Amino acid sequence: MLKGFGNFLVKELKELMRDPKIVLGMIVIPTIMFPVLGGIMNFSIQSAQETAGKAIALVINYDEGENSAQFVSYLNSSLRVVEVSPSTSANVTALMLEYNATEVIEIPKDFSKNVTSGLKVHVRFYSLFSGAGLIEGIGSSTVDSLVEQFNRQLAPNIVVQEKSAIVKGKVIEGVDPRMLSSLMLSQAIAMPIITMILLSYSMQIAATSVAMEKEDKTLETLLTLPMDRFAILMGKLSSSIIVAAIGALAYMIGFTYYMGSLTATIPAGTDMDLVSLGLVPSIFGYLLLGASLFVALLSALALAVIISAFTEDVRGAQSVVGYIYPFIFLPSLALMYLDVNTLPFAVRIFLFAIPYSHPIIASKAVIMGDYWTAILGIVYVAAFTLVVMYLASRLFATEKILTAKLKFKGLRKRRKPTTQELQ
Amino acid sequence: MVNDYLSLQCFDLSTAVEAKNVVKLFGNIHALDGLSFMVKAGEIFGLIGPNGAGKTTALRIVSTLLLPTSGTMKVFGSDVVRDAGEVRKIITYLPEEAGAYRNLSGREYLEFMAKFNTKNRNELHEMVKEAAEITGLSERLKDKTKTYSKGMKRRLLVARALMNKPKLAILDEPTSGLDVLHAYHVREIIKRYVKDHNVTVLLSSHNMLEVEHLCDTVTLLNKGKIIAYGKPHELKEKYEGSNLEEVFAKVVGFA
Repeated sequence: MLKGFGNFLVKELKELMRDPKIVLGMIVIPTIMFPVLGGIMNFSIQSAQETAGKAIALVINYDEGENSAQFVSYLNSSLRVVEVSPSTSANVTALMLEYNATEVIEIPKDFSKNVTSGLKVHVRFYSLFSGAGLIEGIGSSTVDSLVEQFNRQLAPNIVVQEKSAIVKGKVIEGVDPRMLSSLMLSQAIAMPIITMILLSYSMQIAATSVAMEKEDKTLETLLTLPMDRFAILMGKLSSSIIVAAIGALAYMIGFTYYMGSLTATIPAGTDMDLVSLGLVPSIFGYLLLGASLFVALLSALALAVIISAFTEDVRGAQSVVGYIYPFIFLPSLALMYLDVNTLPFAVRIFLFAIPYSHPIIASKAVIMGDYWTAILGIVYVAAFTLVVMYLASRLFATEKILTAKLKFKGLRKRRKPTTQELQ
Repeated sequence: MVNDYLSLQCFDLSTAVEAKNVVKLFGNIHALDGLSFMVKAGEIFGLIGPNGAGKTTALRIVSTLLLPTSGTMKVFGSDVVRDAGEVRKIITYLPEEAGAYRNLSGREYLEFMAKFNTKNRNELHEMVKEAAEITGLSERLKDKTKTYSKGMKRRLLVARALMNKPKLAILDEPTSGLDVLHAYHVREIIKRYVKDHNVTVLLSSHNMLEVEHLCDTVTLLNKGKIIAYGKPHELKEKYEGSNLEEVFAKVVGFA
């Protein structure tokens, strides 16, 4: 039974494990990528918590009693409280801007009276909504826990929070920003997933099509035809984009149904409508989003074409393309939960430097009406794409497209059959 | 002898290919070491030699795929480095190990290739019709090329290289992988095209008998250098060999 299995298995393992592309792509990169991702998440959540502690909360105290003063000092223990005299309180949003605050707490006149007589008192909380993400809720949950602790000392539910969100400078009464965040999570997840799938699939397609020309020995004939070599490159890129776009469309249709089934069960008892809140991109926003995704796709494809030109066959091309995946997966996974603006400076720079972060960053920015972030992202990725396209066209213009090969010095003894094969 | 031959000829319109002192280095290896030869328009010119002699490198330089490290190569007066675009308009190249696009049918492949040469629908139709005859594949042309045998694929590619009647057809081991009958068929087609359509052919082969029957002029190549040059019968007389194989063995010193 299974005669020769052991011998054959050993040979197979030798062949696979001696292929540096497989070792790097399948073993080394994943072992590095996930710890890095975990590190980023940890670091980001910690720093978000710190920022939440430093958040400025404006307190407008209409009550002059002892209990409200006690409540304010309670808030002051974990937040940076700035008390504003009730007479100056003209406009909540203007005040927030003036003090750079993220939270406004309005204590009503009869606070102390109600508390001492054991009656419920409604305190109004206005929180700035800055986008969807896991960390968004941290500031607001700090307030929640403070109120809860305060209540525990007196009587359950004596201080009732009346929450309002401030979206794009407008106060939206009765809407809890945390509820908004969770409602928008579907949107926040959609773009990273689409980016991940679209980029990695189309890169595979582009890399495979170049490697197929080499493997099937059609490239040489192609390069001697009376056609523009740049046209070969553009043909490869365009066809990959078209096929990837059809694939992306199929995914989006499927994904919409999937998310639809989720949102149907999300915030029960709320009748929030993202459209009326202005929390969907405008037409201009959608255009920017499309442009951002397109340039990122183009840069990824051009890069895939270049690096696959250094391989000899389809398997080689596919594993080499795998080296780029961490740069697609890292920002996608990280930005699914985190808002780039709340991240520590170093992490932010790292994510901004990766071209594939920008469609995701743009998807959040355009919802919040921040078009400049999207536009600058597009400009950066477009510049990156131009550089990569230039390199790709140079590669196609010379004999390098035929002779280029990746060399893994040191991993194995350097192979020298290049010249022999060419003769 | 090589230099004598070259000095007798000055460049004129009847020169199809002119190689002057072409050197090609891959790292430290001299793939071509000062190669000079001349192919006259309308002739079948054969590069012969053992594996690794530099035949394919030479053909790849003529077909603008590789750049010479030094020296010049001209095709009908156009430099393969400077005027590569011009050269590509008048040549076709058949690599030794070539394939066709596996998910296209044989006919689609021929049409795809023909569209680089003509925009005229009638011309295109004629070109493909002629190529279809050369292949002898008839109904099988409708099938995807991935279903073809090695021989069928080779015939398709030979037809592709000749169908547009290029000024220069560069054929690397044209009969590679073909059985005796099909090899004979391909050789006859090459001869016919040269005669009927004034196509110049530059081919390589390690099959010296094939070259003897096919070529007007042959060049014996070894280790990137030309070791003998002339018409097959001249070479046989000079080196007192009954065929080119014997000539080659004598020249490199095996016999």
